[in-house]
Amino acid sequence: MEPHLLCTGFRRAVVCNYNPAKRRILFHSRRGYATPTETSSGSQDPVRAAAPIRFSSNANQFAVNRAEFVDDAENSVGSRPGQSSRIPLLERIRILPASPSYFTGTPRFTDDFLALRALERKYQLLPTLPLAEAPRVAWKTLEQYRTELGEPVRLKRYSSLLTLLKKLNSIHPSLFPVEVERALARYKRVVQPHLNQPKPVVVDELGRARAVGRRKACHAEVYLVEGEGQCLINGKTLTEYFGRLHDRESAMWPLKATARLDKYNVWSTVRGGGTTGQAEAITLGLAKALLVHEPALKPALRKAGCVTRDIREKERKKPGRIKARKMPTWVKR
Amino acid sequence: MIIRTLPLRHGRLAVPKPITPSTLRTLATALDRPRFQPATASLDANGQSPSGGRTLEIRDPTDPVAQNFVFLQQQKALHKPIGSAVEPHYKPHDLIANPPSPKDITLELLMASQAHIGHATSRWNPSNAKYIFGVRGRDDPIHIISLDVTAAYLRRACKVVKGVTERGGLVLFVGTRGGQERIVVRAARLAGGCHLFSKWTPGSITNGQQILGACRKKVIDHNDIEVLGFGDQLERSAALKPDLVVCLNPLENYILLHECGLHNIPTIGIIDTDANPTWVTYPIPANDDSLRSVQVICGTLGRAGQEGQEIRRKSAAQGMWTSMQEHGLQPPTHGQAQREKEMREQEAMLAQQEYEEDARTVASEELEPVAKEDSLPYERDRPLSSEELAQASESARHLADWETAGVVEP
Repeated sequence: MEPHLLCTGFRRAVVCNYNPAKRRILFHSRRGYATPTETSSGSQDPVRAAAPIRFSSNANQFAVNRAEFVDDAENSVGSRPGQSSRIPLLERIRILPASPSYFTGTPRFTDDFLALRALERKYQLLPTLPLAEAPRVAWKTLEQYRTELGEPVRLKRYSSLLTLLKKLNSIHPSLFPVEVERALARYKRVVQPHLNQPKPVVVDELGRARAVGRRKACHAEVYLVEGEGQCLINGKTLTEYFGRLHDRESAMWPLKATARLDKYNVWSTVRGGGTTGQAEAITLGLAKALLVHEPALKPALRKAGCVTRDIREKERKKPGRIKARKMPTWVKR
Repeated sequence: MIIRTLPLRHGRLAVPKPITPSTLRTLATALDRPRFQPATASLDANGQSPSGGRTLEIRDPTDPVAQNFVFLQQQKALHKPIGSAVEPHYKPHDLIANPPSPKDITLELLMASQAHIGHATSRWNPSNAKYIFGVRGRDDPIHIISLDVTAAYLRRACKVVKGVTERGGLVLFVGTRGGQERIVVRAARLAGGCHLFSKWTPGSITNGQQILGACRKKVIDHNDIEVLGFGDQLERSAALKPDLVVCLNPLENYILLHECGLHNIPTIGIIDTDANPTWVTYPIPANDDSLRSVQVICGTLGRAGQEGQEIRRKSAAQGMWTSMQEHGLQPPTHGQAQREKEMREQEAMLAQQEYEEDARTVASEELEPVAKEDSLPYERDRPLSSEELAQASESARHLADWETAGVVEP
């Protein structure tokens, strides 16, 4: 091993002596391993530590030119204490949620809910009416409320809001706070159906009471005057108009049930539908007209089953069926 | 009869008697004061008001119910100073109206609010061993939380909240158990943060743009004054994330805490003996089942946030601020700011008009009964003076002035 190394060393030394280019390469490669000498460092600047890195709020600080970044950082650091007007607006602002309920996902609903809760707490000691006696109000439907807010409000959350609204609405009217009235107005529907009052029916100057009755597809207009028991339906007498005994009886049932067959004259026009429907339409119209003359008969007429409109209508025929529900006969194969 | 003792024996009779309370009471009937109105007149034979509430006139000061209420208020005010003085005691609403601040944290306060009561020993999480003081009871043993640890951890959490708010951070207070709503809202209000008392929508942080993208944001400057003109950019900007989350019931909010962990959002949580303390960054070992203990802890954190906000506002007023949010906004053009300002002004004007119209209709409604019913008396034999009527209607109108059990939020 050693003679081999020695041989190589000698050969290199000889080559270096004769080849100046190779001698320079060898010299330089050796310099890397050696400690710097006085002569080699004399021509360079003394070694100094790098400038401290100052990070700034700028997200692009590593993308921009180094000189710009350093300037920017020094500017902002230098001017931070004291003068805010010199700092650009963008460094002074921050984004915040518009509502503290931001993270609920339905901030406007939650704010509404909290406002109503606060009102409820504030006025919790006021006397209230029982819920059934409170003024009837048609509140906005969930769909209307959702559209107004533009938020996906859940049905369960909206019902809790409605409970609050109903509770506030049941405060006694004589002590109803203005604040609550204003708050509730937002949740009321524009059209309040409960405020509609039916027009009162009266006996006219000729002594007639006019009423309308309906049943199935029939429409009967009944005029009732005090008299001796005459009856005209579409210009015909009762017996001429209704061939069936049952229809005659049911048409005159309000008068018969209250024993007033010979006390009133009936004049009626009826159209549409069949005989049963027409007879029962007259029943309802007659009962209503009779109530105009004698309002005290209402319980008796209700008991006789003449006051309530029968809302049953013909059920429509469906495709794939013979009638509304009847299925075609089915044969196996 | 011994004459010389006569004045001694009968002298007292000669001296005029002091006025007895009963004599005073007979005099008091002559005072101008609302009287109790028995409501039998308006009830029918079944004891029900025939009309129901449906036909009652609104804000009618002559209604017996209104008069009785005024009477009740007056009686209450009269009798308030009577009776013995009650020692300071626990009032549930006090903790919400006026929560303790971090410097009020004492072991006594924590113990009085039952913060030391843990769960049954069988339900414990062994990671909480270092917070546990010992075991109470032989048949039904429960763990007792070490309150000096609680106090120390609570103070540390207060410092965290204070530090975050001082630097303009957004703190989210979460308490989704029943009854925690009010304190959560209150603490968020104090700390200028956000509140959540309903279910945390999973993904509000990790999938924020889908869930919170439609919620409105605003741009404020270092003095908390809104800066207009960023409307379009705000719509395009990413959904916000909280900078700190305070969770009062970590057991039910694992998803929230997990999302916070994914996004490097620090969390503070009340850790009972059955909860896992590694779910949150800054645990506060305490009882999370007692509403009182939760209110004390959450209120304290809220107060800490308030302190931080105050410091921030004060230094901002002096022109120094430390908040540096990477909002990525570009300066708005003058036109944008102007347009937004005009829109705001128009909205405000409309709202004001609506309010005034409301007030006008309400005022006209109110005037009617007073003008119409000036002959109906409080006392049947005496016509009502206009002053009394005014007082009654005033009381009906300004109910806010009455003490409604002191639970009105400040």
